[in-house]
Amino acid sequence: MINSKGMVAQLLGQDPGWVIALKGLLIFIFCVVLTIMAVWGERRIVARMQMRLGPNRVGIFGIIQGLADGVKLALKEDLIPKTADKIVFIIAPIISATTCFMAFAVIPLTGEVSFFGHKTVMQLTDLPVGVLYVLAIASVGVYGIVLAGWSSGSTYPLLGGLRSSAQVISYEVAMALSLVAVFIYAGSMSTSDIVVAQDRWWYAVILFPSFAIYCISMVGETNRAPFDLAEAEGELVGGFHTEYSSLKFALFFLAEYINILAVSSLATTLFLGGYRAFPGLGFTETWLGGWFTLFWFFAKVLIFFFVFVWLRGTLPRLRYDQFMQFGWKTLIPVSLAWILIVSTLRVMSDQGAPQYLIFGFAFAVVLIYLVISNYSDNAKAKLATDYKNFTPENPEFPIPISNRTEQVIQIRDEAKK
Amino acid sequence: MIRTALEVGMTKSPEAILFWVLAPLSVLAAIGMLLVKKAVHSALLLAWVMISLAIFYIAQEALFLGIVQIVVYTGAVMMLFLFILMLVGVDSADSLLENIKYLRPIAVTAAIGIGGLLVSLIGRATISHNAYGLSIANQNGNVQGLAQLLFTKYVWAFEVISALLITAALGAMVLAHSNKVRSKFSQRDLSAARFRGKKLAEAAGLPGPGVYALHNAVDVPARLPDGSAAATSISRVLEARGDVLESKQFELQQSEDESSDK
Amino acid sequence: MNPYVPILAIGAIGFGFAVFSVAIAFITGPKRYNRAKADAYECGIEPSPSAAGGGRFPVKYFLTAMLFIVFDIEIVFLYPWAVTFDQLGLFGLVEMILFIATVFVAYTYVWRRGGLEWD
Repeated sequence: MINSKGMVAQLLGQDPGWVIALKGLLIFIFCVVLTIMAVWGERRIVARMQMRLGPNRVGIFGIIQGLADGVKLALKEDLIPKTADKIVFIIAPIISATTCFMAFAVIPLTGEVSFFGHKTVMQLTDLPVGVLYVLAIASVGVYGIVLAGWSSGSTYPLLGGLRSSAQVISYEVAMALSLVAVFIYAGSMSTSDIVVAQDRWWYAVILFPSFAIYCISMVGETNRAPFDLAEAEGELVGGFHTEYSSLKFALFFLAEYINILAVSSLATTLFLGGYRAFPGLGFTETWLGGWFTLFWFFAKVLIFFFVFVWLRGTLPRLRYDQFMQFGWKTLIPVSLAWILIVSTLRVMSDQGAPQYLIFGFAFAVVLIYLVISNYSDNAKAKLATDYKNFTPENPEFPIPISNRTEQVIQIRDEAKK
Repeated sequence: MIRTALEVGMTKSPEAILFWVLAPLSVLAAIGMLLVKKAVHSALLLAWVMISLAIFYIAQEALFLGIVQIVVYTGAVMMLFLFILMLVGVDSADSLLENIKYLRPIAVTAAIGIGGLLVSLIGRATISHNAYGLSIANQNGNVQGLAQLLFTKYVWAFEVISALLITAALGAMVLAHSNKVRSKFSQRDLSAARFRGKKLAEAAGLPGPGVYALHNAVDVPARLPDGSAAATSISRVLEARGDVLESKQFELQQSEDESSDK
Repeated sequence: MNPYVPILAIGAIGFGFAVFSVAIAFITGPKRYNRAKADAYECGIEPSPSAAGGGRFPVKYFLTAMLFIVFDIEIVFLYPWAVTFDQLGLFGLVEMILFIATVFVAYTYVWRRGGLEWD
């Protein structure tokens, strides 16, 4: 059993070359197969939500639909627009596809297992800065999007690439900030140490605000509905990969799904106890010589994936300005405030502050929150009453009077002349 | 002192291989950065130089520094760099005209200044200091050791950095932000204005192009119920570009169409 | 074994796969040249000679990128601080509150000046 920090790093340090190569290959195959299954699964689930059947022709239940799509794409013509910057146009999908696999290197998939007679864990490597490494890889991955958008030499990809890169970097900030509280509690940035530190309580429970912020920003980070503004078909056609066809398009598609799996895996590792069993089922962790932990890990990841699909099936797409404002004006300040609250409480309990001081601090925080929310509610209420004043002359079309409306009409009329 | 430095500086064989593979590549990329014509290409090459630097740091067991190098430089600075390129226009190749007066002397002075700064820094860090070696520096872990120094001994420098960040944000505001002459209308404002406009027919929005036409494209106007072309269905941008098909030819001709319908 | 070798390994596997895919598509796909196919996609009209605005991004995004860097650097400092939080104690908390507050000044300034308004 792994029950102390640094044990995983030690175990992994003993891996011979063939184990590393085999593990790398296995993780790669796993990612690709899981993507193919995820494409099919998403289409089936979302179809059920929309009262349809979804793909059910290729294989049993249409299970190899994703593979069939891949083969079809491989047999399609590979087009490069004449306005494109050819070299960058080819490099962009390669960057996207390479970086998405690399994030999986530090994710612990199982506890201690016997791998062809060799004692190890299903994790490629364990870095003391594991989580920061994932963020670094993600920031390189953005290049794929920006370069694809720019190199196409076409309007829609350019705008789509611009949007998704702005979106990814905005939500990456909120995402990175939400992880600080986890590091404070775990005292480490290594993914395996964080799993070990959650042996009593999952961080999703004790650091719930961090978990909530992470979950929201990971949807924004991966450009998924309801935050899939970069692929808003009605306004931007296909987003940054409009000009891509054949396997280059498939690589972007693959990268998108692997990124979803990567952020879900990170969420599982940091907040849901990673490969550990659900509470009360700890005895299952030793089944199959420890391999059963893989089941728990994937159960949690698949729950996240289901939520991704669920969101897509349920929520309409946000407007761009609302989306960016939510990221910058809500998520980031809330994250920062939460970091300060958590760290203050932690210092208080570490220094042995008396109970009434801790409760007093918590009370003060709640009080400040109430004052702020009351203030913003008042502002909203004022806005609502402004719009309730209808014109008496035109009762059929109740319209608010405000100077603003007059102004808009005036400007529009001027523009028409 | 020199002996310890030499021992620390000696590279083991896997690291040496890494060095001899990556170093020429990064030097080539750096030279290429100066020579390529398109600005985005040179930005990409610079990104590669940054990544290979990060790999060198990591190989030298400065793990945190290496990862931060990727996060901050390749991630953030390069993103900024690309954005700037997109501001100045990318299709135009580098022009070799020097617009700023005394550009060369300024550049040479700046280069010498940075070089001197680096030399003095490295000198201050090495001369008359004993090298501890990595094993002692990384005793409690690389990140922990770094944090202990940064947040206790160098706390002043750390706090000054926050002031630097303010300067950066202010600079960006001054350069890139312009106050709007009038505030942006919300969807609500525009909707109210449509209903209060002169024609109530436009309240529901303009017709889409090409919908009732023989062609299904944005450059073809929609047709009104009486068969005439709806001029408002075409984007004003297309009109200005002169990319609109003549709408006359799509107008419904009563007799012909009726016969063809049957 | 060095802990960075596995990263290189998975990177090499991913890179090899991506390059292979891009290369194989040249062989497996049909090649039927057609002038319209090589045009940029613009909903059926004659495509403009280059992307919107001559392929340039609006200057507004410079500000977003800059703010991103400011926060990125803040995060880079927050992470080691969080890891050694228990050792640093009250002193660490106070200095980080000062740091966050100072950066927050920049953030509030940008917000008040309307730098965080998108349209």
